[in-house]
Amino acid sequence: MYRFLALLLFAPLAAAQTLRLAAAADLQPVLPPICAEFENQTHIHVDASYQSSATLATQIQNGGPFDLFMAADLSFPQRVISEGLADSDKPIPYARGTLVLWARNDSPFHHLSVDTLRDPALTTLAIANPEHAPYGRAAEASLKSLGLYDHLKPKFVVAENIAQTAQYVDSGNAQAGLISLTSAFTERLQADGHYIAMPRDSYPPILQGAVVLKNSSNRTQAHQLLDFLLSSPIQKELAARGLEPANSPGHTD
Amino acid sequence: MDTQALWLTLKLAVVTTFLLLCATVPLCHWLVFGKARWKSVIEAAASLPLLLPPTVLGFYLLVLLGPRTAPGRFLIHLIGHPIAFSFSGLVIGSMIYSLPFAVQPITSGFSGIAPEVLDAATLLGASRLRILIDLLLPLARRSIFTAAVLCFTHTIGEFGVVLMIGGDIPGATRTLSIAMYDQVQDFRYSEANRTAILLLIVSLLALILVYGRRKQLRRA
Repeated sequence: MYRFLALLLFAPLAAAQTLRLAAAADLQPVLPPICAEFENQTHIHVDASYQSSATLATQIQNGGPFDLFMAADLSFPQRVISEGLADSDKPIPYARGTLVLWARNDSPFHHLSVDTLRDPALTTLAIANPEHAPYGRAAEASLKSLGLYDHLKPKFVVAENIAQTAQYVDSGNAQAGLISLTSAFTERLQADGHYIAMPRDSYPPILQGAVVLKNSSNRTQAHQLLDFLLSSPIQKELAARGLEPANSPGHTD
Repeated sequence: MDTQALWLTLKLAVVTTFLLLCATVPLCHWLVFGKARWKSVIEAAASLPLLLPPTVLGFYLLVLLGPRTAPGRFLIHLIGHPIAFSFSGLVIGSMIYSLPFAVQPITSGFSGIAPEVLDAATLLGASRLRILIDLLLPLARRSIFTAAVLCFTHTIGEFGVVLMIGGDIPGATRTLSIAMYDQVQDFRYSEANRTAILLLIVSLLALILVYGRRKQLRRA
């Protein structure tokens, strides 16, 4: 009984140490261990929602209760800023994403290359929705600059966000997909298939930016998490999981 | 307004409703007049989509009936392509999703028919098919009509299954509800508003039709 009362009394205090994070879907395979590390060091718990950047921006614009928004590009945080909902006047870049072409090992494509995209045997290509997922936008730009877009457009299957794109290919429903390196680096996808990075100069850099939300009651803690992510050991860890430092010259392979 | 999505949605609703009625009339006939003991198992299974979230159905269609399982490969062999990302896949998904909306009214319609009428017809030597066509269907027409309208509107309002297995392909799997989702995501609120109003009006009209006709039939 006393324990129950004590819980009731301290529950609000415990809740104050929880950060609500709106995170782009490409961060889903990356963030959980890093957030656990952060919690170990600071005793601040992070509750993350993973969606496409546009879904999250819409939720925030309509009063979504978040403390920190980590998008997969700079335009969606910029949108939140121009609505007057952020505490900075520029998105804070925290990483740079890489677009890869991925296929299952049991697919007909054993040696992936850009030429795979010209292969008539390729009938379905999964991409993320270019209207609201930055990786989808990058995929569209990349295929356009390679001159493959019109040829491939009828073969597109469009997923809601980049995590679902990976799901479409990994489940075998789509033959190949343009997904994030963060997904390709997960244990599951490494076991199931293989990838090549799309040519770096074929799409504008996927610079990922974050903003702390003005109405948050945990702004200090939100900045603390952001600083933690930008610290050099964590930036190295991010690189090992498919996200390069925001100011890096680029992936080389 | 995305007219392509509108036509696709109407096509999906018409095809789903038609096929579903063709399948459920014999099923309900068997459920009501059949003698098998394990009928209640089938009845329960037919009501499952009421209870389960559409994500469960989407998951099974995508993974269990996907190209990586034996039943999935059999199905692909049968229809020529995976269930996901195709119009026929959406039809299959919608039929399962709306199954209870056809089974419930039609079973209750059949069970409401007085057994004496059927006995009389049987005594007079009518075949079972003739009883179904000349007696049961006209007597249960109100329930069949309700089932049709409910399936139609439920298919129009479907979202979760389509989002999970559709692949958002214009003209093949981008239905109105998905088009509207895209519009909201893309901050095209006035377009989304038009889609929403259209869906609202269609659904309201359909329900008015059901309730109005019910009264009419009761008076007749």
